[in-house]
Amino acid sequence: MSTRSRSRGFESALWAAIGLVLAGSVWLFASSLYQTDRDAVATLLARPWFWRSVWLSVLTATVTTSCALVLGIPTAYAISRFAFRGRAAVSVVLDAILVLPASTVGLSLMVAFQYPPLLALQDALGFRVVHSLAAVILAQLVLSLAFGIQAWRAAFDDVNPRCELVARSLGSSRTRTLLTVTLPMAKGGLVAGVVLAWTRAMAEFGAVLLVAGTFRMRDAGQFSQLARWLGITNADVLSVGMWMEIEGGRTGQGVAIAFALVLICAASVYLLHRLASGRRAPGRT
Amino acid sequence: MVGSTSVLSLSQKSQIKQIAWHGLFGGIGALLLLAAVSLVVVNALFLGWSDFWHYLGRPRTWSSLWITIWTAALATAISLAIGIPAGYALSRRRVPLSGLAHTLIDLPVMVPPAAVGIFLLGVFKSFPAAELSTWLGLQVHHAVPGVVVAQVAVTLAFGIRLIKASFDAVSPRYEAVSRSLGASLPRTFFSVSLPLARNGILASVIVIWARAAAEWEALMLFVGGIQGRTDTLPFAVYLDWNGGILGWSLTNSLFCVVIALGSMYAVRRLGGRGHVY
Repeated sequence: MSTRSRSRGFESALWAAIGLVLAGSVWLFASSLYQTDRDAVATLLARPWFWRSVWLSVLTATVTTSCALVLGIPTAYAISRFAFRGRAAVSVVLDAILVLPASTVGLSLMVAFQYPPLLALQDALGFRVVHSLAAVILAQLVLSLAFGIQAWRAAFDDVNPRCELVARSLGSSRTRTLLTVTLPMAKGGLVAGVVLAWTRAMAEFGAVLLVAGTFRMRDAGQFSQLARWLGITNADVLSVGMWMEIEGGRTGQGVAIAFALVLICAASVYLLHRLASGRRAPGRT
Repeated sequence: MVGSTSVLSLSQKSQIKQIAWHGLFGGIGALLLLAAVSLVVVNALFLGWSDFWHYLGRPRTWSSLWITIWTAALATAISLAIGIPAGYALSRRRVPLSGLAHTLIDLPVMVPPAAVGIFLLGVFKSFPAAELSTWLGLQVHHAVPGVVVAQVAVTLAFGIRLIKASFDAVSPRYEAVSRSLGASLPRTFFSVSLPLARNGILASVIVIWARAAAEWEALMLFVGGIQGRTDTLPFAVYLDWNGGILGWSLTNSLFCVVIALGSMYAVRRLGGRGHVY
């Protein structure tokens, strides 16, 4: 075989791989269209439960992301900027959360809240975390936080420490340097991290299923005043709702919820790429 | 004592400020780390030694581990076979409609894996795949091959992303030099690009394997739990929890923790970063 034809073969192998991945992705989503139909979608859209669930999902994902921000940004900053012993170990632990099965995350949380110290605390407060709306947020927080910290850390790593040192040498305080140099310079990456954390929280299913389960059968009286005021009683997080519909034999509606989730996630992935391409020159990383 | 604060020199003051600064940021991080570690410790304590030994002696624990290892390894091999050329192409070539293409490539990782499971069921129950699997006499959904398919579906996209990053780290200049010296495109790839990106790709292999080994949600809807056949460790955690065998569930869960920590440690040793996204 001549060099040229070998090169051509190589080139077509590259494009074949890309084409295969793209076609696979399209096929994956498109082939399920027949599992749902107009009637199922119409029924789903007419159910107040669905709209309460959408609202609940958006609300919990947003609360989770806020918690992740408060906890994650300082942590990411500390890992990125401070030199301390055991930094590698901290990274390993945080990375490991990303490849932990959702069932393990859910089970660990379940067990932790059944264990004496936390059990006593819950008794003292007169409140059980497991199977409450707080559990939804807690279950979402684990992975959302782990993804967020990684993205935020990368964002801080991208900021050259020299810029901060210059600001400090010109008499700027640490707080001022952080607020006027580091955070603005890392902004693109930080926002990308927020989108990522929110999407992860929205997509969380396994841990929520184990720790919180479903709320649709619950007595309205069992929900707190706040939940009633927010209108999130007897609703399910969308991913859990999808599972419940499929398990309940209403496949059409379950698949329709799955497509709703795909649309939400597609919007965030697109946003992430826009943010990433704004941050870096094209062709470079 | 009252006067002593005003006696503090400027350098002492700045030292205190530095400690406060580190304490504020490091403190939250330390708190998170403590929470993560104590979560694992509490689980281990809850399980207890005698139960742990008991379930360690059960053959199903080991069969689950073995299923996890080989299905994840097979899934990794498939992901690599597609991911290396695709990652290289994304790193070195301009893909038309790149915004749309990247969104499509990344989407399967970002949607809930449970939804991917539903969609896979759609794929294997409809036109080409259904006929193909009947013709080959190979049932995919609700059978062992489905485990591998589900794992590939959720790992392929970030495998490509990781491999692309490994190739991005290799300067195109080396390839240009190799080409200018008369090496063909494939030869340049195999003797320059691939060896230079080796560590990054090895690290990616570990991350892909670890993520494939952690997949459960897609399996739940696509494959279902068949004892001793499709119950990988994470799936067994759920099945036993559902079945009320908490000790077994915890034993498997601890195995999963060890796998996750071990693989991320290996990734770090290779100099890679465990970026999943």
